[in-house]
Amino acid sequence: MGVKSIENTDRLYWLGRYSERVYTTLKLFGMSYDTMLEEGAGDYDAFCRSLDIPNIYTSSEDFLRSYPFCEEDTNSIASNLKRAYDNAIELREEIGSETLAYIQLACYGMQSARVSKAPMIEFQKVIDNILAFWGIVDDWIEDENTRNIIKIGKRVERIDLYGRLHAGYESMRREICRLTGRIDRCNIHYRKDVLDRLNKLIQEKPLNYPEIVKEIEQILEV
Amino acid sequence: MKNIDLLKRTDTVNELLARYGVKFGIYKNHTFKEQLFPFDAIPRIIQKDEFAYLERGLKQRVKALNLFLTDIYNEKQILKDQIIPEEFIYASSGYLIQCENIHPPKDVFSHISGIDLVLGKDGNWYILEDNLRVPSGASYPMIARELCRRSSPQTFHDYPIEDNRNYAQILKHALDYVNTGGLSVVLTPGRYNAAYFEHSYLAECMKVPLVSNTDLVVENDHLYFVDYSGKKEQVGAVYRRISDEYLDPMNFNKESVIGIPHIFDIFRKGNVALLNAPGNGIADDKGIYYFVPRMIRYYLGEEPILSNAPTYLPFYEDDRNYVLENFDKLVLKDVAEAGGYGVVFGNTMTKKQKEDFIALLKREPRRFIAQEVIDFCDIDILEGNELVPRKADLRAFVVSAEEPVVWKSGLTRFSRNPDSFIVNSSQGGGFKDTWVLSR
Amino acid sequence: MENLNFRYYLKIEFSEPVKNHRFTVKCIPQSDERQFIEEKSIQIFPNESLCEGNDSFGNCCIFGNADLPHQLFEVEVSGHAKVGLASYTKARPNYQISIFRYQTEYTKPGNQLNQFFSEIDFDRCDTNLEKSKKIMQNVYKKFSYKKSITNISTTAEQALELGQGVCQDYSHIMIALCRMANIPARYVVGMLVGEGLSHAWVEIEDNGYWYGLDPTNMLIVNDHHIKISHGRDYKDCTINQGLFIGNAVQQQTISVRVDRT
Repeated sequence: MGVKSIENTDRLYWLGRYSERVYTTLKLFGMSYDTMLEEGAGDYDAFCRSLDIPNIYTSSEDFLRSYPFCEEDTNSIASNLKRAYDNAIELREEIGSETLAYIQLACYGMQSARVSKAPMIEFQKVIDNILAFWGIVDDWIEDENTRNIIKIGKRVERIDLYGRLHAGYESMRREICRLTGRIDRCNIHYRKDVLDRLNKLIQEKPLNYPEIVKEIEQILEV
Repeated sequence: MKNIDLLKRTDTVNELLARYGVKFGIYKNHTFKEQLFPFDAIPRIIQKDEFAYLERGLKQRVKALNLFLTDIYNEKQILKDQIIPEEFIYASSGYLIQCENIHPPKDVFSHISGIDLVLGKDGNWYILEDNLRVPSGASYPMIARELCRRSSPQTFHDYPIEDNRNYAQILKHALDYVNTGGLSVVLTPGRYNAAYFEHSYLAECMKVPLVSNTDLVVENDHLYFVDYSGKKEQVGAVYRRISDEYLDPMNFNKESVIGIPHIFDIFRKGNVALLNAPGNGIADDKGIYYFVPRMIRYYLGEEPILSNAPTYLPFYEDDRNYVLENFDKLVLKDVAEAGGYGVVFGNTMTKKQKEDFIALLKREPRRFIAQEVIDFCDIDILEGNELVPRKADLRAFVVSAEEPVVWKSGLTRFSRNPDSFIVNSSQGGGFKDTWVLSR
Repeated sequence: MENLNFRYYLKIEFSEPVKNHRFTVKCIPQSDERQFIEEKSIQIFPNESLCEGNDSFGNCCIFGNADLPHQLFEVEVSGHAKVGLASYTKARPNYQISIFRYQTEYTKPGNQLNQFFSEIDFDRCDTNLEKSKKIMQNVYKKFSYKKSITNISTTAEQALELGQGVCQDYSHIMIALCRMANIPARYVVGMLVGEGLSHAWVEIEDNGYWYGLDPTNMLIVNDHHIKISHGRDYKDCTINQGLFIGNAVQQQTISVRVDRT
């Protein structure tokens, strides 16, 4: 299309970030879900700490209900999916109805999970649709700039999350390399000094996770 | 009808409509909700000959309405020749003084006209109203057709149906025709507008940017789209889906935060096309409706092909007496309201309501029109596996560039409530595809 | 005929810097049969983007943007006017100007105006012009000039009830009465010989011509007046309109000076 507004650039970026956030936190939740099945078991406090979100939950049961589904809880997976949707819905003409449909389908998956006795089955639909969304972004969106902005959002979010979760050295290094290779291929403004520092930080062993998180959060700040 | 393969695929079509987010927005208790627009798979079918007749009538009507708009804001011959009493113009909220002496690019005022019709049990089509401001709805049958074809290829193999998925091309041509140089864009008030799906879908299908007011700026006599890097690209045509009132705070409602300051000033100078042109409200005013057949005779020297529903203006004494004597069999419409609001049926009022209404009618006779309740044909809808009859109307779309073109389809809206005549989506109605047969 | 030098100066001071300012000013006199404007100079500051256009009445407007932060907005229009070249201007046909027979929010009559109208004796007034002069005499007699009693949103009906007001109120009352007598009447903004603010008067249509009547001074408009704009009422002739971003208090100063040369 050629012309892109500042709002749409922003929306593409955040669509990338929130789709990644939903995907990674949902996978993480899936692992914890299993350990909390037996009554009283499971450490949801550790889960909250690892993601750096406030522990507002009163019990494992409350956590299992609220963290994925509660729309009033701004850190819930449902809230993040809603934000992805809110950005996507305003991008129909930019990304195409076919692309937008996968975010819509992920939302329907979330609605079925909410009323299901086996939510993991429905969550799989959310995950499948986000993966399909990323696939169609690659395959179907003609404008390279549009594609790259979404992907940069996704990379930035993943580094942020992996940093908080203390992911392994290899994972961290791979993600930062992917971002570095991508970020010059579109027209969003970023801080070159921050990117340079991230690439230095990845050389250190052991990794300084708090510093990585601090840096990645300001990569787009002017 | 029940044997059409498509009907067996209703669930599939509805799943697909959900997949593509075919929704409209609605405010309930002050909160915004998106709702799927209920679709009924039984199409309205219009025979080829019958459509050709509608087409002639609709073109004729839209031509006359466009000539009227140019005339009323410029030479005013129709007032000179006393075809319409001038008080009907100047007392109407649809008349905009700001539009005096305006010639929009190529003199097209109503590029997209949504004309609402019903088919009477007497076999005649009647025009219910003209929508020349921001008529919506074309996107729904357009996408529904796409999804119906996917769900039931057999049906579209068996029946010779005009393809209606060319609406975006027809519309894009109308934009290009009046474009004064530069981009064409769709201007939306935002996603909390009831028709946001349509705005974004039409932009996608026309391959033009969907913009909001913050993306546009007027500078040095021209309109520009400002991109993320601050670069400005000239805009020559704006398919705007915001009403006149909110279009430009410097020329209309000062409080508008969704408008573009000075866009109207450069429109006046001919430096950008606005679709539809501001000021069209004077031609689709419910009071002016009464005069459309006269306009057709006056401007075109032809007899109207399509009839209005029999209408009375309480403003005229004779009509007023008729209305008072036949109150119970008439439907009364407040000329200032739209979307199915301000419509009352004489026979549904209590004694007290009737007295109050008649007092209001006498006090403000210009405010209302009265119409005979047309006994219009029901169309079947599917409820479970049952076919049940419901009231339905047809919104035909006439897109004007060099000549008016009637889209070979239309939005058929039906009332889901068996007792209701009101088909508007904002009041819970559903929609159907409209098939125009090609043989 | 008279030769006049004029200077119209408008200044808006903002208590805090404002930005993204969008403005339209309507204070530029144009030549017509009655007046000839020459050596016109228009200065606007800030002037990042300026365009000239006409409103639907044919009045000259300057509109533009001032995006950068500023605390001062100034407009200065000056030039030379030959006035009184004719006592009228040509009107378009009746059916094209009938809008000026319709009352507006400012002129809509209530009890006061209805009562006043019924008291006016139109005996031996055959033409619109004679009737309008009679109306002017009655307004001049009944209403008295006093500042700060009314404001820019006072309607004709309200002003008449107060019995006092300024040129805007005189004009609105007179327009209301003319329209009640079925005479097309319009509101005019302009400048008057001397020093002060902008002035307002009335034009009425008679037999194909517009005539200027100044009810504040009970004058037929001739060689003291320079016309700037006309419309249905005050609102159509608003001299300055603006929208901006910024939480600022505005202070507006207008000074007009017209001298005989």
